[in-house]
Amino acid sequence: MIRLNNLCYQYKNGNKVLKNLNIHIKSGEFVAIIGQNGAGKTTLLKQLNGLLKPSQGTINVCGLDAAKTKTSILAKKIGFLFQNPDHQIFCATVYEEIAFGLKNLGISHEDIEGLVNRAAQRVGIDQYLKTDPFSLSKGQRQRVALASVLAMETDVLVLDEPTTGQDYSEGLEIMEIVKDLNKRGKTVIIVTHDMELVAQYAKRVIVLQKGSVLEDGPTEMVLGREESLALSNLQPPQAYLLAKKFHKQGFFKDVYRVEEMLDEIISYLDGEENACNG
Amino acid sequence: MPAMVEYIQTDSFFHRLNPITKILWTFAVLIISFLFNSPIPILVILLSNLLIALASGIIKQVLPMMKALFIFSFILILCQIFFVDEGKTLFYAIPYFNIGKVTDAGLNMSLVMSFRMVATVSTIPILMMTTPMTDMVVVLVEKLKIPFKYAFMFITALRFIPTLMGEIEQIMQAQMSRGYNSDTRNPFKKMVIVIPLAIPLLVSSIKKTEKMAISMEARGFASGPRSYFRKIVMGKADYAALVLLLTAILSPALL
Repeated sequence: MIRLNNLCYQYKNGNKVLKNLNIHIKSGEFVAIIGQNGAGKTTLLKQLNGLLKPSQGTINVCGLDAAKTKTSILAKKIGFLFQNPDHQIFCATVYEEIAFGLKNLGISHEDIEGLVNRAAQRVGIDQYLKTDPFSLSKGQRQRVALASVLAMETDVLVLDEPTTGQDYSEGLEIMEIVKDLNKRGKTVIIVTHDMELVAQYAKRVIVLQKGSVLEDGPTEMVLGREESLALSNLQPPQAYLLAKKFHKQGFFKDVYRVEEMLDEIISYLDGEENACNG
Repeated sequence: MPAMVEYIQTDSFFHRLNPITKILWTFAVLIISFLFNSPIPILVILLSNLLIALASGIIKQVLPMMKALFIFSFILILCQIFFVDEGKTLFYAIPYFNIGKVTDAGLNMSLVMSFRMVATVSTIPILMMTTPMTDMVVVLVEKLKIPFKYAFMFITALRFIPTLMGEIEQIMQAQMSRGYNSDTRNPFKKMVIVIPLAIPLLVSSIKKTEKMAISMEARGFASGPRSYFRKIVMGKADYAALVLLLTAILSPALL
């Protein structure tokens, strides 16, 4: 679906941001890209929909050569949600805002209505369709932005720190929507700083460090690589760190998510209880 | 943005001069250019501007601006030169039909006009590139008694230009990701097509200014008399430069 071969990118001032990236993302994957600020995460995402063109190497997105294809054409294949919804919202109603992308793609008037309604329902803002988007809260505006990307029904969804600047539950809501979309077959690529969200939702993690791939693999594998993560000033999720401490005492296996931790504790307590009763 | 006029840090004689001296220099250039009525002395002033830029290490940035100014001044010459009837006829632009008469007085006048324009306008980027904005504000407010709020408005406006350029870039990218395409030759379509860029920019800059106003008030902006961290004094070099400027201004009268 997405294939990067020896991709390099440098800014006009000669600053090399991406170095020899070889990444292959298959259809239906849920990939999290993590790394320090300035590691090249956003730059990498912008290569995917042609906002930035590689200086070297090739990039193939859904059968299109992204190095030679305009962003407005790649937009049919890749939905891109930015960190700040206020960079895109400009319409008088939420409905028009969601329909903007569809109009750009030249979709007929009759089809637009259905697509807009479906996208609004999926992110839970269908009651606001006639509202002025600027009167909504930041979290709701981010969902409007998400809906406007979803409405375009792209195969791939790219999210650049979608939960930044929102409270925890708003962030979770967005992630739940994204998880649901992934279940329905959408390929999801997300950049985030929140390791708990990574552990909770991503199936594959790529760690970028100074423009190179430091780690790339299943979430459980990468999150356990504490030394690599430390190089990028990252920490494994708290549940993992706690479990590891218990692990030294002889309890528990490695866990990465709060629910797993809970299961472990419950099964341990059950065991204790049985031992007492017996 | 290559066309931006920003302070360029180098340690040169001209950089170290008091901003007031430099402001007076721009006025001196203006006065002298208007005192002379033949192109050669004005060209000399223009060259002196270039020499100052060279000595200040900003010639690389100034030359492209000069080039643009010269293109503009050439258009100015074209607009003027054919309409002066006095003086000796030098040549015709289209000789066979005797169309486009150029007289010596016309040539003289249009050259004076264009050199004057380039000489006086080019002092401004040189002034801006060699003087930090904060220093400029300090002298404008302290020495020239311009109300601080106006001076502040002026520098904030300048300071926001690069910020807004970055903002436009981000908005552009966000809209392009939704299939927005800004390629059109039709001027009416062009007016409509900027709406998806203009509205988010307007909204975000208003939000930015509000935030800035609050954070400034929180730190006591306009709460009373101000003091300045930088002390700017007239040095020996400044007085020497002032004497030089004065003689330059008086010289046409003496000649």
